[in-house]
Amino acid sequence: MKMKSTKEAFLELLNNYQGILHKVSLVYFRNRHDREDNFQEIVYQLWKSYPVLKNHQSVGSWIYAVAINTSIARVKKNFRIEYREKIPELTDPSNFAEVIAQNESLQLLLNAIHRLDEVDKSIMLLYLEEKSYEEIAEIIGITKSNAGVRINRAKERLKQNLNNTSHGKQ
Amino acid sequence: MENSELQSIWKSFDTDTQQKSIAELNLLLTSKTRQTINKFLTIIGVSIFVCIGLLIYLTITSLNRPNDPIYLANNIVLGVITILSLVSGLWSWYKLQNNSYHQPLKNWLEARIELLSRWLTGRFSKLNLFLIPFLYTLIVFSIHVYFEYKPFLEALHNEESVIGLIVAAPIGLFVSYWSARKIRRYQLQQLDFLKDLHRRLSGNG
Repeated sequence: MKMKSTKEAFLELLNNYQGILHKVSLVYFRNRHDREDNFQEIVYQLWKSYPVLKNHQSVGSWIYAVAINTSIARVKKNFRIEYREKIPELTDPSNFAEVIAQNESLQLLLNAIHRLDEVDKSIMLLYLEEKSYEEIAEIIGITKSNAGVRINRAKERLKQNLNNTSHGKQ
Repeated sequence: MENSELQSIWKSFDTDTQQKSIAELNLLLTSKTRQTINKFLTIIGVSIFVCIGLLIYLTITSLNRPNDPIYLANNIVLGVITILSLVSGLWSWYKLQNNSYHQPLKNWLEARIELLSRWLTGRFSKLNLFLIPFLYTLIVFSIHVYFEYKPFLEALHNEESVIGLIVAAPIGLFVSYWSARKIRRYQLQQLDFLKDLHRRLSGNG
């Protein structure tokens, strides 16, 4: 039987979890090009840290940690003008925007999330993904009880943003 | 809006429409790896090329002026600073590129803040602000004196040299100081941004 190479195994794993990468990019970046760049950067950073995957309790928490840290590192970079390297044009990029545009509630929720700060964005994302307090604490690097407090605060801020956004629309 | 409602709205978001095939993921990874290697080679290549060019120039000009101790000292100081700057610059860049992104957010922030703080607020953090104008001055002296075909002190006593230095040196010094300061301010902003995030995670923010 043919043994899988490390890269093949990594790509297969990535294929099963790529939804996480899309969601993290969506939470941190409004612009399609930034999301695509970020997606590619996360793929690269995951590949770089693939050897340490065995040290993590779960594949999901490893992917979330790399994806969130990579996105935060890129958020500030976008303030300056930088040479955009050409990345391969793959699946139909307009599809994503269409899916969001068709769902008004999702659009409102996303707008409210985009107005949170970077820490609250990550906490809210994990909460919306229905991660347990233990998992959130592991990914963010805080205690379980602290995670509970922060989730509640982030939720309050999100709801406040949601109210402001929906009032603004009326 | 109820909490469960928020989660169900989020669940309604289907990422399958963006699903990429394994071949596409492979293409993304391969192109990113190639870009990163090219960027790395370009930075290393250009830095080494410039430094080697400068060192060759310094060696040739120094060999042609063996009897001018001030000129030789100027070139030696310039050469030493160039080599040290090249090594420390490449080392810092390498350290910054090698982030441990797999760590929990708080630990990752701490590591990055520590690294940036060491450069930007550490003991020698403001060295670059003065080193760049200083290097500029030494390079100007080295080129100017060499092409005047006179000993160092004599070349600087020349009226044209004095006027040139009075006019050109302040402009060059200002531009190099301003550039170094601008880069430092951008990096400090980045550090503040990370510190703020860390404060929010550690404190009650």
